[in-house]
Amino acid sequence: MQAIELDHVRRIFRTSIGTLRRHTKEVVALDDVSLDVAAGELFGLIGPNGAGKTTTVKILTTLLIPTDGRATVLGHDVVADTRFVRRNVGFLFGGERGLYFRVSGRANLEYFAELYALPPRGIAKRVDELLALVGLSDRGAERVEGYSRGMKQRLHLARTLLHDPPVLFLDEPTIGLDPIGARDLRETIERLRERGKTIVLTTHYMFEADALCGRIAVISGGRIVAGGTPAELKRHVRDLSVVELELFGAPDDLTSRLRAIDGVDSVVVERRELRQVFRVQTADGERAVPRLLGVVGQVDVGRVSVREATLEDAYVRLVGRVE
Amino acid sequence: MTHALRVLRTGALLEARNVITSNFMLFCVFVQPFFIGVTVMFMLRHRPDFDPVYVVVGTALSGIWSAVLFEGNWIIGGERRVGTLELLVASPTPLLLAIGGRLAGSMGFSVSSVALAYVIVAWLFGAPIRLADAPGFALSTLLAVFALWCTGMLLAPLGVLARTISRFVVILEYPVYALSGFLFPILLLPGWTNPISLALPPFWAAQAMHMTSSGEAWALPLAAVWAILLGTGLTALLISVPLFSAVLRRARVAGTLSLT
Repeated sequence: MQAIELDHVRRIFRTSIGTLRRHTKEVVALDDVSLDVAAGELFGLIGPNGAGKTTTVKILTTLLIPTDGRATVLGHDVVADTRFVRRNVGFLFGGERGLYFRVSGRANLEYFAELYALPPRGIAKRVDELLALVGLSDRGAERVEGYSRGMKQRLHLARTLLHDPPVLFLDEPTIGLDPIGARDLRETIERLRERGKTIVLTTHYMFEADALCGRIAVISGGRIVAGGTPAELKRHVRDLSVVELELFGAPDDLTSRLRAIDGVDSVVVERRELRQVFRVQTADGERAVPRLLGVVGQVDVGRVSVREATLEDAYVRLVGRVE
Repeated sequence: MTHALRVLRTGALLEARNVITSNFMLFCVFVQPFFIGVTVMFMLRHRPDFDPVYVVVGTALSGIWSAVLFEGNWIIGGERRVGTLELLVASPTPLLLAIGGRLAGSMGFSVSSVALAYVIVAWLFGAPIRLADAPGFALSTLLAVFALWCTGMLLAPLGVLARTISRFVVILEYPVYALSGFLFPILLLPGWTNPISLALPPFWAAQAMHMTSSGEAWALPLAAVWAILLGTGLTALLISVPLFSAVLRRARVAGTLSLT
């Protein structure tokens, strides 16, 4: 038996638009999604914003009902057997919301410990353990409104682990954390996997998915567009190299002009104030550089480098998202 | 203690700590009853048949009712706004219990309106306070708080299911003061409003507290008033059970548990 199974799941949201003449619009958030996660596996779900990652997690945590298809956790249907599923999953949604700000971190955890029916005599000890685990032992008595974003995120993780669930859903857990906090959290996630937890991790950070996940599904437009181990996904771009061009003041049409060059597979632009970094995927490697610089023309060029394609490059190719 | 009672207690304590720093709740429980109490004292204190305990009860009930009305109506929306509604729904504890505990915390805090009303009448105006039946009054207060909590539990899912109505809930505050006879007998109102009064738990709460504080007899014996007070409260609570289920089902279908 798989720990998690999605079988042809489809999820449609209906929204009303218009003020005077209102009509309903349907948005397909998940379209025939099937996947499974083995017990003890750390499974990654990656995709752009609005791809359907959070919808998937919300269905598996009983917060949404699928429009079609079936989803199970530990063999139990997430619609028919919500009580079992809720006792056996923990979830963390990234961000600062989801806490009672006017009371202490400890009070937050004690409240959720009661909601998860922890044995009353063990609650204080469990809360102490978790505050220590997330490094909040000395701040647990303070009101949450005084916590930094990272501290709130760590408190969320402690809340997620309160009832020691066998299945965890971590939705962008390191978003907004400083590099050290994010690294500590990744180590904690790794330790949880070693303890046999089944973990579904959604993230925008490809290096994070690469480092942590045994298998990854790439989701885009509500559909699974690829899946496999990080190594298998990287094979999608094994024939490609990435040329990175650091430019200053590149015109808006440069992306399309670079894309039109023979041998260029895709182009992604990262804009940072005055500087733009163009990542060009090409099968020609270093041989493509003179042609690329020829198109760049009179624009100021900073650094130019050629490197092997990474999981992020594979992701860009699979999702087909070119900015 | 059973799990349900522990959830109610912990939720109530959490909410009590939460509302004690809420300006809006402080307004409902202290500021508004203060102005009501002072105004009524100025209006009535020179009348020969004036009984100051009537003002204490009425003022206290106005604070408790405001807390019930607004907290009950907005509690689920409030959880949604701060992002905790999904966490409550995804826990194995029924949402009704989680919300019930939180509402109990607000109610517990709002009972401090009784102390405020006493201070206004006895200390600020120096009027003598005499409780005709102190144990009866204590029991009446307890039953009144329970029945009003039940009313709040009915308002909570209604605030989600009937959003258009909930936007205008603020206009229910003063009519219920009047219809429930908090400060003036309902005999002063047109006869056609009396059936509405009789259907409201706050009316029976006011009736029980007025009877035990003043010692005056009424058309029904005190035990009957208590029974009706309890009955109307439990009816509201029973109606709220399927409404909570409807809220959850609708939210899981429509995907409206979170703001994101």
